[in-house]
Amino acid sequence: MSRTKNAVWLLLILPGTLFVILFMLVPLFSLCLTSFFPDQSFSLSSYFRLFGDAYFQQTFMRSIRLSLLSTLVCALLGYPTAYYISKFSRHKGMMMAFAVFPMFTSPVVRSFSWMVILGKRGIVNNFLVWSGLFAKPQDLLYNEFSMTVGFVQLFLPQMILSLIGVMDNIPDDLTLAAGNLGATKLGSFFHVVFPLSISGLVTGSVLVFTGCMTAYTTPQLLGGTDTRVLSTMVYQYAMSLRDWTQASVVAVVMIVATMVISSVFNSVSRKINPMA
Amino acid sequence: MALLELKNITAGYDQNIILKDFDLSVEKGEFVSLLGSSGCGKTTCLRMIAGFSEPMAGQIIFDGKDYTKVPLHKRNFGFVFQSYALFPHLTVFDNVAFGLKMRKMDKETIRHEVLHMLKVVDLEGFESRYPREMSGGQRQRVALARALVIKPDLLMFDEPLSNLDAKLRVKMRVEIRRLQQELGFTAIYVTHDQEECFAISDKVAIMNKGVIEQMDTPSEIYNRPKTEFIARFVGFENFIDLERTGGCEFKANNGARIVTAADHEGSCKGCIRPGDVTVHAAGAQVPNAIQGRVLVSTFLGQRNQLNVQTDVGEFVVSTDQNQVFPVGETVTLSLAANKIILID
Repeated sequence: MSRTKNAVWLLLILPGTLFVILFMLVPLFSLCLTSFFPDQSFSLSSYFRLFGDAYFQQTFMRSIRLSLLSTLVCALLGYPTAYYISKFSRHKGMMMAFAVFPMFTSPVVRSFSWMVILGKRGIVNNFLVWSGLFAKPQDLLYNEFSMTVGFVQLFLPQMILSLIGVMDNIPDDLTLAAGNLGATKLGSFFHVVFPLSISGLVTGSVLVFTGCMTAYTTPQLLGGTDTRVLSTMVYQYAMSLRDWTQASVVAVVMIVATMVISSVFNSVSRKINPMA
Repeated sequence: MALLELKNITAGYDQNIILKDFDLSVEKGEFVSLLGSSGCGKTTCLRMIAGFSEPMAGQIIFDGKDYTKVPLHKRNFGFVFQSYALFPHLTVFDNVAFGLKMRKMDKETIRHEVLHMLKVVDLEGFESRYPREMSGGQRQRVALARALVIKPDLLMFDEPLSNLDAKLRVKMRVEIRRLQQELGFTAIYVTHDQEECFAISDKVAIMNKGVIEQMDTPSEIYNRPKTEFIARFVGFENFIDLERTGGCEFKANNGARIVTAADHEGSCKGCIRPGDVTVHAAGAQVPNAIQGRVLVSTFLGQRNQLNVQTDVGEFVVSTDQNQVFPVGETVTLSLAANKIILID
């Protein structure tokens, strides 16, 4: 019985597996190969060249920095929102719809909206000048600030959704039990709710971080010429400079960096809640 | 004076009133059960005492002090949840230690107290396990240890055994009773299982639609129910309207003369269990005789059950298995005088 059952399962997962192998693993593998064989023979020269390049170093650090910053802001904004929606909101469905609403529009449209909002004559600058905080409009666009704003708006729903998913599974009895055992509201939050929701925070952070690292439209439209990130750099190498080797080197670096930082997130969560 | 008193409590959610003008009093060291079917308000009542919710009106007095608005974390009451509500991310040791840590006790004392309590509930050596690595019965005992270790002024149980299998349930209830008598804590226990609740409690409060119908010792409730609801609850199945004609003498609707051991003012209802009615051949000269016709005869192993139609309503009677009465036969029922309970 188990043999036929296994055969059925294998058949069922076959299309998905083939799809992933053909369109994801094979190109990824050839990408890696390209980066290690710049002139038909194995060499790490492309990597040395890249890491020795000050412009790349800056770009690499900017990518990591902006992604981490956006992840942090998403966590700080998303956690209380998710906590409220999951535990206190009376209109949960509606609140969830609002939270994910930004996902219904394309990143291009959203970036254009930010251009309107943050531009020299945008409402933010108008307000700053009108209120007397600044004498003249500030540069809010085409810099790291506008990129972070774009990232946060783009990925906040992912953070909120993964947190709600986990928080919904924390039974109310646990917080009542903590209170019954003498914990204040704050105490039961820090001793029970927070450690139990850490897995959602990590999943959300990984989604936001990888999203920020790989996003292209948002940094392209909201960033300036002197605020390139890795994804725009790949595009530049591949499309403007026609240097596919260098483009794949940057791509491999992106993948490795993303994986390393994601696994750091995971190990932190395991320290806090070993049962997650 | 009672340790815990609920006075005129009204509780519920929004428009849905679950308890109205509810009173309850519990003496120190007593084991009191709230028994009732689901939706009767027993859990609502328990959760309110614990401080999980506030009553809409009324007062909770504990040890002479008004506890109505005291926040739950300041009550020092233990609570054993139906779901156990163990912290899944903490080991057994840390689960049990939780309440002591919140009380800011020093590490050595906590260690000593927790290990002692784990020994009491027979879980030595399980300190570093996680709840999900344990069986239902073991989790139940962790929950018990966690509630007991804080030396609560009052310990509450919300259907704590309902997730265990029948055998374990009996074992655990003996265990809980033993601990209660050994440690002398005051307990309020909520259940819908009559047997469980009679076995474990000093006093049982039977609840129906948000009010306590009767609160007494288990044997008092079993032998002298005060209302028809309680009587039905503890196995009385036959009810006849009676009119008083003299001391301990009554007349049924059909004129039959019923003599009872107890007395009751005015008209009342007599109730009797199926096993306390005997069946005889038609016209037999027996005390408290009522004529009837057999409607249904059901084989129940040790006993037979007869449904007998009489002038004063249908009777359910339990007979010896060798006493066979075919359906349709006319019989005479005899009600044992000292087994008839009179209620309003």
